[in-house]
Amino acid sequence: MSDSAYIHIQSLTKSYHKGKTLITPLQDLSLDVPSGEFLALMGPSGSGKTTLLNLIAGIDSPTSGLLQVQGRDLGGLSRAKLTRWRSDHVGYIFQLYHLIPILTAYENVELPLLLQKLSKRERRQRILAALDLVGLADRATHRPTELSGGQEQRVAIARAIVHDPGLLVADEPTGDLDRESADSILGLLDSLANDHGKTIVMVTHDPKAASAAHRTLHLEKGQLISGS
Amino acid sequence: MSQFIALSLKSLSRNKLRTLLTLLGVAAGMFLYAAVETMQHSLAVATQATADDTTLVVYRENRYCPSTSRLPEHYHSTIASIPGVREVIPIQITVNNCGASLDVITFRGVPPEDLRDYNPDIRIVEGSWDAFSQRTDAAMVGKHFARRRGLTAGDKFEAVGVNVNVAAIIESDSAQDNNVAYVHLPFLQQASRVGLGVVTQFNVKVDSADQLESVAAQIDLTFSSDQQPTDTRPEKAFFAETAKQMIELIAFTRWLGIGAVTAVLGLVANALLLIVRSRVKETAILQTIGFSRLQISWLVVIEGLLLGLLGGLLGIASAFAFFHFRSFTLGNEGLTLALAPSVEVLLRAIGIALALGMLASLYPAWKATSKPLIQTLNA
Repeated sequence: MSDSAYIHIQSLTKSYHKGKTLITPLQDLSLDVPSGEFLALMGPSGSGKTTLLNLIAGIDSPTSGLLQVQGRDLGGLSRAKLTRWRSDHVGYIFQLYHLIPILTAYENVELPLLLQKLSKRERRQRILAALDLVGLADRATHRPTELSGGQEQRVAIARAIVHDPGLLVADEPTGDLDRESADSILGLLDSLANDHGKTIVMVTHDPKAASAAHRTLHLEKGQLISGS
Repeated sequence: MSQFIALSLKSLSRNKLRTLLTLLGVAAGMFLYAAVETMQHSLAVATQATADDTTLVVYRENRYCPSTSRLPEHYHSTIASIPGVREVIPIQITVNNCGASLDVITFRGVPPEDLRDYNPDIRIVEGSWDAFSQRTDAAMVGKHFARRRGLTAGDKFEAVGVNVNVAAIIESDSAQDNNVAYVHLPFLQQASRVGLGVVTQFNVKVDSADQLESVAAQIDLTFSSDQQPTDTRPEKAFFAETAKQMIELIAFTRWLGIGAVTAVLGLVANALLLIVRSRVKETAILQTIGFSRLQISWLVVIEGLLLGLLGGLLGIASAFAFFHFRSFTLGNEGLTLALAPSVEVLLRAIGIALALGMLASLYPAWKATSKPLIQTLNA
């Protein structure tokens, strides 16, 4: 393990049963991601990239192998402790944004902060700072239906960073956007890695999106086949 | 917690029609429950004797209905001389219906000069004691009776063949007084053609509650060989005995209350299950963000509590207002049971509504987070 590895993965395997069939989306995978890196994971459908992303995000648990994030062994955490860890250390960006439709942009961004012991004033400062960072300070009172796709994804990014996590995981964050919006989102992610020191792991099918990352890894049948 | 409540409120406002229908259903169920509880409570208040009760009722033996009970008015002095008796008042009662009825009109004929001393709890709301004393056909009408009939001081009205002038509207801590019209005894004896010197009953106040039994026995013994033997019992025991039909009827309504509560439970649980199922993905998103299973469950429970509380308040307040403004009285054999709303019932019903909301939300709350996050996220 490299001293600077933010994410350290060694011989990681994930398998589960679907009916009587044993599925192994990840097998004996090893990987180090240094702090502040913007990493893209590419590969065909079923290659295991989203499974890997979910394991890194603490949404799923490995079957065997070692998965450490910032030195914390996620494989040894209970479901409740994983949830707590996620709320402190991870920001998740979904392909379809998944904002809560009845809440305004401000209220959506506020959600992760409801889990922190912060005053209303502190929450407000952080929310406005996050919205300002994604360029949507003037859309705070808008509901998701009043925003474009690109703007919704920006709100989702603001929601992912508002509690200042060290790790951002993004599952095809530009998959539902036009080129212009996608480029804008990728620029924002790049800035979060370069200017704010966030470690970013992004799954994408889009080579152009992957080119925005510092490094791209290709997966196939649950194993890494190449990197650039 | 306040943020969670705000979040739950917003979630409920998402599907306004579903929430409104659920609230109306809860309100209807809790209205019925509160109505049944009001009847039960009113009956309990009217029939449960307390240590402070010192009133006996003397009726003609085996004839409890005012239309058949006849006692000589001169028994008054004999009863008053029995040791332990503090006060005696002869009463002539005339009612429109001796059987079970929801709209009982009761005239109580009493010596006007004795009423004030015998019943100091009576308070004048409108009119005056003087107006009552000065006219032989004057009536002091209980406030519920007056509201039901739309009467005010100065009005004239006729019922059961008796024409009276409303001298005053009265209120009292005794529910019975609020539902009757007090008139002069001689006037009622003549107007109802019972005849002077004849009364329906005597109400007797004894010095202390522990003398009730002994004084009652002494009264009955005194008149046992008389032409008109008596049956004397504590007022509330007499009410409980005579009100058996009402008690059976009201006891049956308990099943309606249980049915209403069960319906509310099912309704809220069903609504919450629908809510939980429609938000599987959203719940997964919240869990991904870092909301724990307990916190997600709390959001569902809060929604259940809000549905129970808001719907319950609507229904319970409606029932409260219904009984307050309609002033129902249930009568049987001349006794009136005022179905009066009470704060105790109100608070208990709100507690029940909250408990139902909580209980109904437990399974949906568990269901919301029962599956592994990865499964619901990929659903």
